[in-house]
Amino acid sequence: MNSRRVEDLMVPLSEYATVSAGCSLREAVVALEKAQQKFGQAKYRHRAILILNEKNRVIGKLNQLDAVRALIPVRHGNYGTDELGCFGFSNRFVRKLYQHYRQQSVQLPELCNNARAFKVEDYMCSPFEDECIDHKADLATAIHQLVQENLRSLLVTNHGEIVGILRLADLFSAIYHTVARQSGRI
Amino acid sequence: MKELLKLYRRIVQRVNINLREFNFDVEPLICDLVSFDELEKVHGFYAITSQHPLDFQFRDSNLAGSYFLGKCRTTNSILYKSDIRGDEWKKKGTVFYIGDFQIPLTKDEGIHIEDSLFIKTLVHNFSHDPETPERFTISNTVSAHYANIHGSPTDGTFLEPFSTIDLTTVNDCIIGAFSYIQAGEINHFHIKPGTVWVRSAGTFNFLYRYPADVLHRYIRFYPGSPPQGIFVEFVNKYKEAFERVFETVKIKSAFAVPPNTSLDRFAAIIPKISIKDNVLVAQRALLQNSSLGRGANVQENCFIINSNLAGYNVTAHGAKLIDVDMEEMVFVGFNSFLSGQGCRLTIGRDSIIMPHTIIDIQKPLHIPAGSLVWGVVTCEDELAANSISLKVLRQLEDGFCRGNLVFEGSGNQFVSAFQSRIQHILDANGAFYDGEDNKGHAQKNQNISFNIIQPYSEGSKKGIYPTIIIRK
Repeated sequence: MNSRRVEDLMVPLSEYATVSAGCSLREAVVALEKAQQKFGQAKYRHRAILILNEKNRVIGKLNQLDAVRALIPVRHGNYGTDELGCFGFSNRFVRKLYQHYRQQSVQLPELCNNARAFKVEDYMCSPFEDECIDHKADLATAIHQLVQENLRSLLVTNHGEIVGILRLADLFSAIYHTVARQSGRI
Repeated sequence: MKELLKLYRRIVQRVNINLREFNFDVEPLICDLVSFDELEKVHGFYAITSQHPLDFQFRDSNLAGSYFLGKCRTTNSILYKSDIRGDEWKKKGTVFYIGDFQIPLTKDEGIHIEDSLFIKTLVHNFSHDPETPERFTISNTVSAHYANIHGSPTDGTFLEPFSTIDLTTVNDCIIGAFSYIQAGEINHFHIKPGTVWVRSAGTFNFLYRYPADVLHRYIRFYPGSPPQGIFVEFVNKYKEAFERVFETVKIKSAFAVPPNTSLDRFAAIIPKISIKDNVLVAQRALLQNSSLGRGANVQENCFIINSNLAGYNVTAHGAKLIDVDMEEMVFVGFNSFLSGQGCRLTIGRDSIIMPHTIIDIQKPLHIPAGSLVWGVVTCEDELAANSISLKVLRQLEDGFCRGNLVFEGSGNQFVSAFQSRIQHILDANGAFYDGEDNKGHAQKNQNISFNIIQPYSEGSKKGIYPTIIIRK
């Protein structure tokens, strides 16, 4: 494992689920689900989709939580989604409040239908410096970066351009195989 | 460069440094609010009584039109037409009870204002911060018209017009116009305009925010222009009534009050007025064609017009009543605006009108006894949406939401906390004085002498007051 580099474990951009900027959230969700089905049972599934601009450069990432978050109302009454927590309301109370609002407003199927009108750019996360790692970096550096930033994947770069994605699941699998080999199980 | 201009720039820079995380610049908001010409001309004044500490230290400050009582220190500050009222101080030799702490006090509590600029702001002491019980400090802070800093140590903060911080330690915050905050301690928080937040951690949490379009009619505040809206138009209508009051140092009141009542000589009176025993009318309050029953109090910047207060009523700092009839023991919170203009608003006994409430009706409206009212009420339907019976609220243990109000926690403890505070205010103001016991501000604030202090009238220090130390 010592000699292995990030590029040895990453999923190349060409194999990763991508959509173009400007598409709807609904299209992104469908693309993500299709990509998951392609991988089948043997491989770890994608938990995110990359968004490309017109030059096929990565401009953002949408994970499952981002997609789900888009389906909850942005505001409840006069308050933003995260605002009540800032004012010291308990999580339990806020959940109850949201339940109350949901009962009075649109239901989940309708919310999912609304996703047609949402632009994927409005919900994606733009890449940030600490989320990126050079393709030649060693795996120990990648592990440190994932832990330090509390991330589930890193965007792999080559001369500043994103060329793939290194997933925690693939890294964990590599660690497992190393550990198993050392204990003689493989 | 003139010292006064240097001082102004220094304060602006201090506030901006403290609020840099918000990328905030206070200068465009305040640059045209006060004229330097006025700052250089208007005198400040302080009160002397046998009932209060006499301990003033003014250093490198401008105090134009400001009033000081008690133990107050200012350094590198500009205080314009503000009231620094130290008449409810924690006393040397007593014990300050807060939370689980019993803190012995070795000095009288003093108000320390440093590197700050206030415009028509009220500061009232009895800070509730256990960390500095004898020193109530406000530093690196700018406040705009009719802001209230009530027992709230503050650093690096901007208070927009008609905002209130009450019994809350505030660090590096922006408090939006007409927001009321009573939350113990807040840090690095940008509070949007029209937010009313009362929180006792682990016990209750009350949050209401005005709809932006409604608030806009009453108060709006943008860079490059003074505050605008119904509140400002209302206050400006009565400017002249105060001019006569402040023109001369010695003025004899044309209106006789009972001997156990205090009618401040800097209050404006427009007959006909009736005032009963144990009443407190503070400076910069205005009374017109109204009656105040026994034990009522009218605090700084309150306006009572064509209204009747039956007795034991609290009208907190900045509240305005127009065509209102209040039964006994009604509490009207800070900066509330209650207008029954053209009709009558009647408020039943023991009701609590939350701080920063707007009741502005076109038809007569009766608020039932024992109600809690918040937000904006213009008709019966809105009263139903923005009020609750105190009896019902006491039974709620798990919170509720109604319109823009979100309430979590114990309704019973919320009501008890308010009622206990109302009782304390009445007591501190002398409402229950029986001729011997229970003296309060109404009795202690009667024989006050006022002295004026003036700045340098020429040279580079024009507008700066010389260092002045006044002690018993």
